[in-house]
Amino acid sequence: MSKAHVSTNSPVVQYDNPKLAMWAFLGGEVVFFISLILLIVFTRMVNGNYEADFRSLLSIPLIAVNTFVLLTSSYFVVRSLDRLHGGEAHPKGMRNNLLVVVVLGIAFLGGQAWEWMGLFRDGLSMSSTYGSAFFTVTGIHGTHVLIGLVWAVFLLVGNARRSYTERDYLSVENFGLYWHFVDVVWIALFTIIYLI
Amino acid sequence: MSKKPNYFAVFGILAALTLIEVFVSYISVGEIKYPSLGIIAAVKALLVLLYFMHLRRDSRVYSYLFMGGFALSIPLILIMTIVMPSLYR
Repeated sequence: MSKAHVSTNSPVVQYDNPKLAMWAFLGGEVVFFISLILLIVFTRMVNGNYEADFRSLLSIPLIAVNTFVLLTSSYFVVRSLDRLHGGEAHPKGMRNNLLVVVVLGIAFLGGQAWEWMGLFRDGLSMSSTYGSAFFTVTGIHGTHVLIGLVWAVFLLVGNARRSYTERDYLSVENFGLYWHFVDVVWIALFTIIYLI
Repeated sequence: MSKKPNYFAVFGILAALTLIEVFVSYISVGEIKYPSLGIIAAVKALLVLLYFMHLRRDSRVYSYLFMGGFALSIPLILIMTIVMPSLYR
């Protein structure tokens, strides 16, 4: 764990700059996603008929499975980081777990694409009241998952050709923070859009 | 440094809470349905933040940065849930 640490020469607490930057970025992302969630909440408050016009079209079992897939991917991210932590690093174990994350991330996006195709077939479009809010919010979240996937592939490819260094730990940790945040956002979206 | 958390146990709790959430959404439990779904989602998010993102063991500065996002969103929440809907009615 790369906690904030105290220098032996100075009482000043020093932080890992990339990790500090990642948390600052995630703080900004909180504002961004709260504004998107508010878009859904506002649309529901103003228009009503959420259940009849929109929620009845959604497949809760499909998205529950998709939610489980994303939660599982978060578990494998933390396992991946765990392989680089402690007395001895296991880069191969880290890579194997990261590979599972990539597969699960692709499965999540596949599930989302399947859901979207079904909704398009049912007549929901970007021009409809709830469709515009739904596709915007879930589309932006899906884009975040896609960016995370690209990041994970870069970590896999980058670490495949060289031995483990302390920098790798920080890069995997920062990726993990991003991925878990995307998971936290989905936990909120799943409840607000699909269940409530 | 505190003992390493049991990540699999955290994952198991998250999966179980998701199942409970889906179950609660299908049954009609009156006025407690929506608050209970909100509380379950908040507990799930907290578990990910505290254990998977290590906020429980990491420096408080990271928590402050993250929570700062929520603090900055308060005016936005008030505008979008109170001011704007009243203008539309």
